[in-house]
Amino acid sequence: MKKMALVGVAALSLGLAGCSKQDQPVLNLYNWSEYMPQEVLDQFRAETGIRVIYTTYDSNEAMYARLRLLDSSSHYDLAVPSTYYVNKMRNEGLLAPIDRSQLSNFDNLDPSLINLNIDPDNAYSVPYLWGTTGLAVVADRVDPAEVTRWEDLWREDFVGRVMMTNDMREVFHVGLRVLGYSGNTRNPDEIEAAYRKLAELVPSVRTFNSDAPRMPYLEGETHVGMIWNGEAVMGQEDMPSLTYIYPEEGAIVWLDSFVIPRNARNVEAAHKFIDFMLRPEIAALVSTEIGYATPNVAGKALLEDDVRGDRTSYPTEEDLVNAEFQEDVGDEALQIYLRYWEMLKAGR
Amino acid sequence: MFGQAFRQPFKNAVLLLVWVWLLALVLVPNVLVVGTSLLTRDPVDFLTLPFTLENYQRLMDPLYVQVFLHSLYMAAVTTVLCLLIGYPFAWALAGVDKRWQTLLIFLLIVPFWTNSLVRTYAIKMLLAGNGLINSGLQSLGVIDQPLELLYTETAVIIGLVYLLLPFMILPLYAVFEDLKKELVMASHDLGAGRLPTFLHVIVPLTLPGVIAGVLLVFLPAMGMFYVADVLGGARNLLVGNVIKNQFLDARDWPFGAAASVLLTLAMAFLLLAHRFSRRRLGEEGA
Repeated sequence: MKKMALVGVAALSLGLAGCSKQDQPVLNLYNWSEYMPQEVLDQFRAETGIRVIYTTYDSNEAMYARLRLLDSSSHYDLAVPSTYYVNKMRNEGLLAPIDRSQLSNFDNLDPSLINLNIDPDNAYSVPYLWGTTGLAVVADRVDPAEVTRWEDLWREDFVGRVMMTNDMREVFHVGLRVLGYSGNTRNPDEIEAAYRKLAELVPSVRTFNSDAPRMPYLEGETHVGMIWNGEAVMGQEDMPSLTYIYPEEGAIVWLDSFVIPRNARNVEAAHKFIDFMLRPEIAALVSTEIGYATPNVAGKALLEDDVRGDRTSYPTEEDLVNAEFQEDVGDEALQIYLRYWEMLKAGR
Repeated sequence: MFGQAFRQPFKNAVLLLVWVWLLALVLVPNVLVVGTSLLTRDPVDFLTLPFTLENYQRLMDPLYVQVFLHSLYMAAVTTVLCLLIGYPFAWALAGVDKRWQTLLIFLLIVPFWTNSLVRTYAIKMLLAGNGLINSGLQSLGVIDQPLELLYTETAVIIGLVYLLLPFMILPLYAVFEDLKKELVMASHDLGAGRLPTFLHVIVPLTLPGVIAGVLLVFLPAMGMFYVADVLGGARNLLVGNVIKNQFLDARDWPFGAAASVLLTLAMAFLLLAHRFSRRRLGEEGA
């Protein structure tokens, strides 16, 4: 009986502890999966007492749909859209302006990655990380020297072993670049041509994965295909033979930025968090842990040489020849992409 | 009427609860879905007027017909497999000692305590190229190269069968429990062999359980999009995937709602078939 009573008391105190947590300030962060080390969130909480609730998504489309839907209910305080979605959300008035006076560390950012045409003067967004989408090869299975172009994915000996991201824009980017078009085209004929080209690739594709694109390689299911550079860095910890290659037709480049939804409840905490993330030591920690490149110049200077010198995370200028930034293509072109994307996915 | 109402306060309170529940959580959401399916897509506000039937017309597009048929096929294979495993399972379960029965049913239900998405990921770890099954077979020398299990149609069907099998077994177990031994014995006494007894006595008496099990397996099998996503590698689409993609990625709610209504209609059709077959069975029995 005594034991039971003890258990009861323990349960009760746990319940009470649960209640008192509610009184603490909370920051609702909506971010890509596996895109921020837990350590950073813990340190932020230890310093400010603000608890970060981290919710994840695996595509810009899903993030945008959720933010639109929950626009008036103030559910999220921060989100991390990619390049072209910053532009789209800003144009649609979904974002709250950034108060630069609350960001003491803003000047740490690389001048070439701020004030871009997606958001002039960074009125609504603050860069978090940038990265590239390129080719991955499992060196035990496929000779990396023989894979240099996106077009190599179409090789016959790769049938059933190709991995593509589950991201419509990225997959079409590959098809468009192989044909020599821009990955940001709005021309329906070019999109259709890319669809026809990609339809030849689909029978080779083992899986589409944007949740954790390194996993199909680590599982031994796919040997060649697309990957995000940070995923390649993370995957190399378990599988050193996972090789990242910048394709000759050009890698896909993106920049993910913090934005504050216009009805965010805790705007002050959101600014505090952004400023915290802009600290050089935090930026360096993030880049080391998850393998993407930091736009933070002061942070980059703190990186260990083997991280800063890793071409997978930090490409040279030569690596980025032909590389293209993803841009918004507008709703009309998006619907065309979408229609062909569904045809691709349903085709077998 | 009112006199009665006061005399049975508990019964009426329960009935009221049931009605409120059904109205608020079944009728209203379904009316919203049907209403949505008749509206037009809006890129910013999701929905807009005018009312249209265009979303249903789009469902007739060969692309979606193909997805629907493939989904139907995978659900049918899943259902048949569940039935083939579940029927003898339930039969044997009803035959064992009562003390053991409780334990066995308990074991059947235990997996429900773990979220089905987590269990789907567990299956993924079993099926992967360097997963438990492949590395086990390789170390035993049965195979040299890993089998292609994960990200195939087979993987989706394995996942669906695993998740849905209990829904087949439980209603079948209920009818086998009710099956009177005397009827089987009488059949034997009257000279029927094992097969005729099975076909003419046991099958008709357990048919309601079969139909209930099929209903509980077939439709969820068309909608469990995460199984197709995780095990099928986003390549073996189910109707559930189309609905999810329309709502989350394409932001085409009216079309997603129309696909959802189609799935509900398929359910209604099956229920009608169920009623029809019961009536027919009832007449035969009389």
